[in-house]
Amino acid sequence: MELEKSLVDATLEVFASMIFIDIEPQAASNEPVTEFAPNISSLIGLAGDMKGILAIHCPEKVALEITSSMLGMEVDELGEDTKDAIGEIANMVAGGLKVSLAEEEKNIEIAIPTTVIGKSIRTAGLSGASRVMIPFVSPTGRFGIELRYLLET
Amino acid sequence: MAKNVLLVDDSSTMRKIISRSLRQAGLDFGEIFEAGDGQEALDVLEKESVDIVLSDINMPNMNGIEFLREKASRDGIKDIPVFMISTETGDDIIGEAKSLGAVGALKKPFTPDKVNEVLGPLM
Repeated sequence: MELEKSLVDATLEVFASMIFIDIEPQAASNEPVTEFAPNISSLIGLAGDMKGILAIHCPEKVALEITSSMLGMEVDELGEDTKDAIGEIANMVAGGLKVSLAEEEKNIEIAIPTTVIGKSIRTAGLSGASRVMIPFVSPTGRFGIELRYLLET
Repeated sequence: MAKNVLLVDDSSTMRKIISRSLRQAGLDFGEIFEAGDGQEALDVLEKESVDIVLSDINMPNMNGIEFLREKASRDGIKDIPVFMISTETGDDIIGEAKSLGAVGALKKPFTPDKVNEVLGPLM
């Protein structure tokens, strides 16, 4: 299974059906999280046949654009609404990944998302884990979907 | 008569999206109540007149499966139908939900058209 394709497909489905913002995926890269200048990141733990974290990293403008569109109202500062909205995107992308892995007879469990607001956010941990970072371009900027994982064979 | 709906999801954003999708789908419903987890949902069901529950599965404190199990043990509310709306789509967990009384399931993400298709017959 191509994890990158699964992540792209899951993210595009979430944005097309529930956020209504046109986004374009870019080639997967090894860019560090800081390249996205994230002001808000939501991380969700994965367990079972794939252990790791799935994260979404957004600069402020992109997070506000996404939250405003999801809620159908203007949101102009990072806060509880933004944390909740970005966390729900992480949850749904992880759900899409779970469906793809289930087709390969691999079962994962998804934790409750944790969302942080700050500057110079980085992720670390999971010694020996593989990493996929997929940038997406929205009308207001770039955001990243990151997967750090250990996959049972 | 329009049915009163209880939305159970730990995400306030998702509760708003589901509420909006019900309106966009053109479904006829009455009052909408909200709860952030299974325990809050039980409290609402004990106090308010609710005709149908739309519930997430993965939630803190009391998840959707625990909610179904506890609800099934309470005589006054056990017959209120529950429809699951979740990222969880596996046969095992959806099967468990249905064995505890859930009447159906809708996968997140969803479109208003999909909401109309699957929830329309229940409204």
